[in-house]
Amino acid sequence: MSSSRRTVLKTGAASLALLAAPTIARAQATAANTLIWADDSNSDVTYDPRVTQSRHEEQVIVQVFDQLIMSDETGKLSPGLATAWEMSPDATSVRLSLRNDVKFHDGTPFNAEAVKFTMDTIADPATGSQGAVDMLGPYDKTEILGSHEVRINFKAPNAGILDTLTENELSIVSPAAVQRLGNTGFAQAPVGTGPFRFVSWERGREVVLDRNPDYAWAPTWSTVQGPSNVQRIVHRFIPNNATRVAALEAGEVHIGDILPALDTKRLADSGKFKAMIGVAAGLSFGALLNTSRGPFDDIRVRRAFMHSIDRPRLAQNLYFGIIKAAFGPLAPSTPGYWAGGEQYFPFDRALANRLLDEAGWTMGPNGIRVKNGQPLRVFFPSLLLPDVAVALQSEARRVGFDIAVENVLKQRQDELLMTNQYEMAVIRWVSNDPGVLRIPFHSSNIPEPGKFKFNWARVNDPAMDDLIAKAAQARTAAERTSLFAALQKDIMDRAIFFPIHDQVQTVAHSARVSGLRYARGNWQMRFHEARLATA
Amino acid sequence: MGYFGRRILGVIPVIMVTWTLVFVVLQIIPGDPVNLMLAGVPASEEVRARERERLGLNKPVVERYFSFLARAAQGDLGDSFRSRRPVTDMIAEQMWPTIELALGGLAVGLSLGIVLGVLAGIRPNGWVDSSCMALAMVGVSLPSFWIGMMLIYVFGTVLMWVPITGRGFDALVLPSITVGLFIAGGFARLVRSSIVEAMGQDYVRTARAKGLPRRKVVLKHALRNALIPPVTLLGIQFALLIGGAVVTENVFARPGLGTMLVDAVLTKDMPLVQALIVYKTAAYVVINAAIDIVYGIIDPRVRMAQNS
Repeated sequence: MSSSRRTVLKTGAASLALLAAPTIARAQATAANTLIWADDSNSDVTYDPRVTQSRHEEQVIVQVFDQLIMSDETGKLSPGLATAWEMSPDATSVRLSLRNDVKFHDGTPFNAEAVKFTMDTIADPATGSQGAVDMLGPYDKTEILGSHEVRINFKAPNAGILDTLTENELSIVSPAAVQRLGNTGFAQAPVGTGPFRFVSWERGREVVLDRNPDYAWAPTWSTVQGPSNVQRIVHRFIPNNATRVAALEAGEVHIGDILPALDTKRLADSGKFKAMIGVAAGLSFGALLNTSRGPFDDIRVRRAFMHSIDRPRLAQNLYFGIIKAAFGPLAPSTPGYWAGGEQYFPFDRALANRLLDEAGWTMGPNGIRVKNGQPLRVFFPSLLLPDVAVALQSEARRVGFDIAVENVLKQRQDELLMTNQYEMAVIRWVSNDPGVLRIPFHSSNIPEPGKFKFNWARVNDPAMDDLIAKAAQARTAAERTSLFAALQKDIMDRAIFFPIHDQVQTVAHSARVSGLRYARGNWQMRFHEARLATA
Repeated sequence: MGYFGRRILGVIPVIMVTWTLVFVVLQIIPGDPVNLMLAGVPASEEVRARERERLGLNKPVVERYFSFLARAAQGDLGDSFRSRRPVTDMIAEQMWPTIELALGGLAVGLSLGIVLGVLAGIRPNGWVDSSCMALAMVGVSLPSFWIGMMLIYVFGTVLMWVPITGRGFDALVLPSITVGLFIAGGFARLVRSSIVEAMGQDYVRTARAKGLPRRKVVLKHALRNALIPPVTLLGIQFALLIGGAVVTENVFARPGLGTMLVDAVLTKDMPLVQALIVYKTAAYVVINAAIDIVYGIIDPRVRMAQNS
């Protein structure tokens, strides 16, 4: 009897041992000189720069493609595929001289035809462009002036075009590859002129890129002028935060994308990893206050709300110094940032109380202010960052606001915003163009039933629309800067947008890796200059 | 027409009804596919309008339904809204990683479940029984994201025995255990009760009276008869897994049909949702048919009943 029980136990033990067998040895997963990036998404669908608008897809695109004008992380322009450029005085065209020593990864030469093909196909509705077509703006046509000379024409002034030409979306594609593969095929196997060429894509798992051995046209700011020191890039999809951190700690990946603030700090403090915090260009993470209804139709109440929050302390408490408070509608890393916003709405609870008293809201017995029998109630459907919503709620409560936070999914949020059933909502937007301000502040973008748009403050003022239009059509860079500064001041004066904190990219990487550089806008990371020290 | 032929044909109305339901539900739930696809993207209203036209979303619902059916009848399930590729290609790519995980999970679940169940069942109510059943309870109760994270921490980060992500057999170990522990829990409980019942049957008593060793009695006589109910459960589990294991896929950064379906529903990628539903429906039917065959192997009486 006992012998048979032993047999059963033995069988059980044997099957467990069988399961454990593969755990005995762990192969070194990474070949030498292969750099592995862990991306926080796994739903990439296209690597066609003309089509995409996804920052994840652009993380691959930025390695594979070059732009006509290149920009480092500070936004300074330098020659890329174009060696020189000249804007027409009326800002309706730009003439570009092109490099004549550049080849696409498929061996075909880069020339004026390729530029014309890229621009024309972006404008062609059949391409289905989601980002590039808006960036090209009032595009008319591209004229070929010589084998390596083009003029891009616009139907209206487009003073921002030089900045825009540095965007990943306006990368130059290989016409031969697009014609051979078709648009859909090209999106799966992109061909550019960049420092790395596309090798393979196993969907949901990883993308593999190999260095371009012919690369000899790096921008002047690059510390590596020839081919990259890194042989291979693996772009691995790891959407789960905890798994991405674990893979980094286990040495399975070298660089982790958008890590939680606390982990970023812990990893950096350990000495084995380094953190790179990038303040993303575009709209700061902030709240739009609905001016069309409720207590926020009174500017004194909006100002009181803003003065009641101690933003630097809030950012410190929630993000341990990794993420800083924001003070204007645009992040400091955005071209045309206006520093004047930093003077607005310092934390001042006494002033907040005074403003609310002036506006006729008197303190009720339960600590909530009242006017005409109505409590000072603010409905806040919150889609992003619930911890920030709760922090705002408790701070504003100290001066008598009752902020009702409802954590919502996107579809519920959209419905509430389209039907104007909210007092405030939070927004963030990554963009290298100050023109992004049109999206939340132009009157044509006020949401309507069935039409989801982003002017959630519901500002409807021809003066502001006019300023937005003028800034977009400015003819010189100086004029453009001053108009965008005026626009940012106007937004702050109206107290319609409450900047909360910077939108940041929190990257941590193994101390073995050096030479990493953010692409413009501080979201994507360039790998051309990267080096991998041996372990 | 044979028994299996009839079953396969019978799936067509099932698919039609499921499809229509899915189509109607996707129309009813709020959210515009173009806005969801371009969520957080500064696309202008013109771009959005152009996308709606490209996807045929500006046509009347009824027209869209019938044109969809007409194309489906010719085997064309359409192109994904987001990736613009044929949905059949997309599903085919994700099928292997999904099957891989399903088989890995089943292998762990089945072996662990049988071992625990048999150990518990041959001596009911003893300490071995209680321990095995407690283990089974743990397997069923613990959420797989937690088990997954613990396995990652212990075997991936601290001991570094197996990779956390990536491809290949060693990267399949932790996800298989995560899925397998859950399956083993349910399976062990069912095997135990079947064994307890079988051990009390006349044929077991006869076998023991004939002087057969206990091992032979348990493994050849009792277990074989006791396997019928667990095999049914196994079929259901496999059918579920073949549709993807969303949480495990997410924790271990694995591609798979579970993640694909969730993404497709959240972005209202209608052609992809519809194709995945067809695939899942078909998989259920095929697996059910396969289970019938397995019944026949385990218990010849079932085979005879089918043939008569």
